[in-house]
Amino acid sequence: MKTFVCIKRVPDTSEAEVKVDATGKDVDSSRFSFDINEADNYAVEEAILIKEAMGGTVQVVCIGPKDADVMIRMALAKGGDSAMRIEDPRINLIDPLKVAKVLAATLKDQECNLVLTGCMANDDGSMAVGVALAEELGVSHAAMVKKVEILDESKIKVHRELEGGLLEVVELALPAVLTIQTGINEPRYAPIRGIRQAQKKELKVLSLDDIGLAEDEVNEASSLIELDKFYIPEVVSTAEVIEGEPEEKGVIMAEKLVKGGLL
Amino acid sequence: MNTEMQSFIKKYDLLGCIQCGRCTGGCPVTVRTNLNVRRFVYDAKTIDEDTLDELARLPEIWDCTACNTCAVRCPKGLKPVEVLIGLRNILVESGVIQPTVRDALESVFREGNPWEKPRAMRSDWMEGLEVKIAEPGEKVENLVFVCCTNAYDPKVQVSAKNLVKILNKAGVDYGFIGDDESCCASEVHNLGEEGLFEMMVEDNTELLNSYDAKRIVTISPHCYSTLKNQHPDLNAEVIHYTHLLKELFEAGKIELTREFSGRIVYHDPCFLGKQNNVYEEPRFILNQIPGAEIVEFERNRERSLCCEGGGGKMWVESESTKERLADTRVKDAKELGASILAVACPFCVLTLDDSVKAKGFEEEMRVAEILELLGEIME
Repeated sequence: MKTFVCIKRVPDTSEAEVKVDATGKDVDSSRFSFDINEADNYAVEEAILIKEAMGGTVQVVCIGPKDADVMIRMALAKGGDSAMRIEDPRINLIDPLKVAKVLAATLKDQECNLVLTGCMANDDGSMAVGVALAEELGVSHAAMVKKVEILDESKIKVHRELEGGLLEVVELALPAVLTIQTGINEPRYAPIRGIRQAQKKELKVLSLDDIGLAEDEVNEASSLIELDKFYIPEVVSTAEVIEGEPEEKGVIMAEKLVKGGLL
Repeated sequence: MNTEMQSFIKKYDLLGCIQCGRCTGGCPVTVRTNLNVRRFVYDAKTIDEDTLDELARLPEIWDCTACNTCAVRCPKGLKPVEVLIGLRNILVESGVIQPTVRDALESVFREGNPWEKPRAMRSDWMEGLEVKIAEPGEKVENLVFVCCTNAYDPKVQVSAKNLVKILNKAGVDYGFIGDDESCCASEVHNLGEEGLFEMMVEDNTELLNSYDAKRIVTISPHCYSTLKNQHPDLNAEVIHYTHLLKELFEAGKIELTREFSGRIVYHDPCFLGKQNNVYEEPRFILNQIPGAEIVEFERNRERSLCCEGGGGKMWVESESTKERLADTRVKDAKELGASILAVACPFCVLTLDDSVKAKGFEEEMRVAEILELLGEIME
């Protein structure tokens, strides 16, 4: 099984305050720590579990700056075989369709059975890249995957999470793209000795020219998405606490819901 | 027998063990867990290499708090605790470790602290204080090493803040490092990540030697112990803050004028006491507090009961449901009628404070770092 796993370097916004930077079109990331996107980390683990069970290779793909090399090396230390990092300032990274186009161009000449990536990025939360990548590659896909069973060289069965707590079980013909939901496995630790050894594994750095894409296919001007501005939502207090005995509260609540058109 | 086994036996001098049982007899966690350190020392030297992996997968290897009692009591001068850490290393190298341990180690690697906090926030605790930051190359008498827990945990940041106030007031020549300071890696070692530990020792040595410092003053005993004993190439002498404060008291540079009313019992942190024989300095400082009545636990100094905060236990929950040692300790403190359970370690503060709350003793007593206490009395 030849598997590609697409990962993204994202900021951890849970600790430092999120502030809009001077351009108004980006976030001040000077106080953030950065890590591999959470769902992508599960995708890496799933790819390595498949390799351990079936044999084959795992190749890591990442669009990002040199700082992403740490996350790539960690994935290689866990069992990845080689990596490609695409870095080019001409790519409009806020548009998931352009990101998917770049990934597809990177993979198009590769022998590939399976592409895994996280179901959602922690920074933009668009949940679109994996599915768009399948479209670009012209292969089948399953999103929000919680379980993967390899049936044979040409077919897999996956369990995917739907709204309302339902699981859908589907069979897909390979090659296919799966977007991996967190919790599918328990990502392993990459020991430092392993990361040091992974320095010997191949990590190619590619530009748009290397993957055969023209600037006007993936730049801002070609994008249907236009970033207007970032802003911090205004904090307003609209909660109302209903007082009284439970029976009275229930009646008041019901009246409010009916009046508000929700019942 | 392969090379790994031979080096394991040689590294921990396992053939030197006479199985006398002094280690298990003193191990504080045997009352609540299945850990029997003598068994591990015995099995690790007599079994084949496959079983070494099996030994590493026994959950009780994570019950050890690295308090060092076993090493203190060993008549052959062995360090049974290190055998358990060596077994943890086997697991770490396999990558299959508890998620909490994984996340702490990854955080040290990426951000220089085990608390998953951004490096850029390491000095946030300094806000509003006049803190002297030393520049590399600068001559400084006392280079202060804050420690990750003191820097990031709101419950214990007061220790670092009060040390700044004391140093300013006493006119001490000092400097802090700021955001460039990284984890001392004491807990990285105890969690068994040897590769990361070696890397951190190299990085810390390079950073600390870049200052022209006479002494490195640590706030946490964990930093003290590892910088003093496991960073062999440091140029400066490593001391704990209680050494410095004792000097300042003796030189008349700290004066405590406010009267304190209450009974204080001091809990010896393992990494200060049992690991480094620092027993008297904290007691000397507490004895300077006007009006304070200082009492002792029945188990004190080298017999002190571990709080279970060391040995990486901040990131590993024991499978045992029996009473925590910290609970035992606060119950003992309450029986002594202490209003203050004084400690000189951030981990002890966190574990013992949890127990005071869990036991519902908050009305009668509280846990206080010595620096926290001094800050209150000096104000």
